[in-house]
Amino acid sequence: MSLVVVVLLVLAGVSEAAGRILPLAVRRPGMPRTLVAGLLVAGGLVESVVFALWPLTAWTLAELVLSSPPSADGLVWTPGLAAPLVLAAVLAFPLLGPFLHLCLFVGVGAGLAGPLAAATGLGWWSAVGCVAAAGAGLGVAVEAVRRLVVGLSAMEARESRESIA
Amino acid sequence: MNGFVLWAFAIGPALLAEALLARYEVLAYGAGWRSPTTVLPKGVPYARGAAPDGPPGAYLVYLDGIGKRRVRDSRDGGQLVKALLARAPELRVLGQVQPYSPLADPLADRPVWAWLQRRIGLLLFLHNVMQIFVAADHRYRPLYNRAVGSQIATQLRLAGYRPDSGIPVVLLSYSGGAQVACGAVDELHAQLRCPLLLIMLGGFHNGANDLSRAQHVHRLTSASDRIERVGTWMFPQRWRLFRGSAWNRAWRAGKITDHPLDPATHVGPRSYISPAAQLPDGRSHLDRTADTVIALIRADRGASVVTDDRPAPNHSGRRHRGMRRRRRVGSRRR
Repeated sequence: MSLVVVVLLVLAGVSEAAGRILPLAVRRPGMPRTLVAGLLVAGGLVESVVFALWPLTAWTLAELVLSSPPSADGLVWTPGLAAPLVLAAVLAFPLLGPFLHLCLFVGVGAGLAGPLAAATGLGWWSAVGCVAAAGAGLGVAVEAVRRLVVGLSAMEARESRESIA
Repeated sequence: MNGFVLWAFAIGPALLAEALLARYEVLAYGAGWRSPTTVLPKGVPYARGAAPDGPPGAYLVYLDGIGKRRVRDSRDGGQLVKALLARAPELRVLGQVQPYSPLADPLADRPVWAWLQRRIGLLLFLHNVMQIFVAADHRYRPLYNRAVGSQIATQLRLAGYRPDSGIPVVLLSYSGGAQVACGAVDELHAQLRCPLLLIMLGGFHNGANDLSRAQHVHRLTSASDRIERVGTWMFPQRWRLFRGSAWNRAWRAGKITDHPLDPATHVGPRSYISPAAQLPDGRSHLDRTADTVIALIRADRGASVVTDDRPAPNHSGRRHRGMRRRRRVGSRRR
């Protein structure tokens, strides 16, 4: 993975984290800036890793679908494929945010499907299926972690309030 | 082709940047990074109209459309407020509320925006449109409503309003101001416990805000008002299909009355507040709008006022109680 791709994925991760954290910060009045920044950095790194795993997971799924292993080395991000992900913060866009976020990921996923189909010999639709399943699986996994963190932080906040009382 | 290039490389990115930055103010308010402004510039009164030493007939808060960018100005140069004050001296009128700023910070007073106003004035309108979208988004709406509701309550207190006094508060909103007016209902009720009357003039809103705390909602509308109609198509909560939405619940509860102001348009030379467009009876559109608003306020207060407008059928084909069929304030359920 080239340095440019790494930088783009980190930026995309922070962008995705911003898109998720801003509405959360708005719903939780009184969040200090340092906490928002900390959440942004931590969340950004997690999201970057998830983005980095997307082509790898899609490739693994394609291997499972194929009867014989493909001759190519694997599917990797290129700067052109990863660049649109920097706009992931669009999730926080008022009113249309979730729809635009979905459109962005559908577009990026469609971009990944072409190289995957070419490298594995799968049909384009099968490649799309692998990319979509990989994306959905990673999305569900990271959402589960997100909810766990939110639940734990809410529990901690409740306990600290009770101990003060 | 040139149009496409302009959109792709100039207007498009500007829209995107503005939309992404639009949430900053509500975030800063929610996180407590900045406190809302409460002090008005020198020479600007907290209210105009009825003297503050006696209880006025009602407090009227005017929530302007997306042209609002200063404490003083409004799109029509303040003509509607002036017309209301001239016709109804018993009202105390507040026009300084910033509907599109959770921090009550007038757009034209911010250095960057003042610079932009001189060069790309359209961006100020765009900013306020985006604020309506922020106010309509379910993720930001509760806080936005609280911010603007608190701003209105603060300005009312500074203008002499006393909580529990029973004096009606009228939220007169134009266009996107309706989104803010609907959102402020709960906060105003919680802070001031006041009888609330909403009058929407070409109201553009998403219909998601609970109106159960409002005594009544009067919808001044026109078949020629395309912008208001866009709002009814754009937001699912305004569709009849979503029977459980706050707007549809209010319809079924008989809380909403339509008042057609045909052939007025939303903006332009034939708008609701045009002093030039004439009606067959010799009045201007502005005169009729002002007369209607005052008649509704007085009718709500129990005065027997006869007006020439009749309630229009609502979107489900039924007729709601019109002004002249409304019961007196004292006998209405609170």
